[in-house]
Amino acid sequence: MKMIWAVVRPESAEIVIAALEDAGISSMTRIHVTGHGKEMGITAGLARYTEIPKEMLMLVLPDNDIAKAITIIKNAARTGPKANPDAGIIGDGKIFVTYVEDTYTIRTAEKTSVQKQ
Amino acid sequence: MKTIIAIIRPERVGETRSALEAIGMKGITFLHVTGKGRQKGRIQTSELAGLLGREGTGRFPLQWDHTHIKFSPGEQEEKEFELGFLPKRMLIIVVHDIDVSSIVQTIIHTNQHGHHGDGRIFVCPMISALRVRTGEQGDQALS
Repeated sequence: MKMIWAVVRPESAEIVIAALEDAGISSMTRIHVTGHGKEMGITAGLARYTEIPKEMLMLVLPDNDIAKAITIIKNAARTGPKANPDAGIIGDGKIFVTYVEDTYTIRTAEKTSVQKQ
Repeated sequence: MKTIIAIIRPERVGETRSALEAIGMKGITFLHVTGKGRQKGRIQTSELAGLLGREGTGRFPLQWDHTHIKFSPGEQEEKEFELGFLPKRMLIIVVHDIDVSSIVQTIIHTNQHGHHGDGRIFVCPMISALRVRTGEQGDQALS
């Protein structure tokens, strides 16, 4: 079992969520965050904006769904000309994947353990 | 060292905090998040009333347009609404391996009501920690 943290544009978030739902992935947590990447935000004249609003989506999925979810998020969150699907625009976001060892459902106190990777 | 990420109901935050304090766990990060599970944010009429009253005017904005929901407080019949993302709180706690089970049991005990939406707990590995004030690293940073 793995955890996906996906940082996407706020305007892409709904598209990503709809795309995940279409693929049967409906459980997720959504967090409003701000941040910037290696471009250090947006510079407009003399002003530099470094706290760019983003939406962070957190999903925990079985290992064999991870690749599918990453592909869906990647395709839905990428902006820019449709003619060149391999190149998005700076600020489209990033996807991070980490390990999850145990998950508990509070309602039933049920534990799902995962073997050591 | 482990990270415990728990997603719970906003109204259980105070009780959870006291319960964790009672077992000696005082360092917690709380986040305002929205989330949905397999039920896609289904909610009963009785719960909806509390949610609109509490969260609708608070600092946490409602993520859905509730103007289209027809709801009158005197309504007898319990109805179900599918609202999608509901307000939740995310707790992030970094602890020693030996403390994980007691904290998980405490969170389950304080938040378990037997209804959908009670939340979920994830236990993830954490490689290291550093206390900024003193520069202590690893297990010392947590004690």
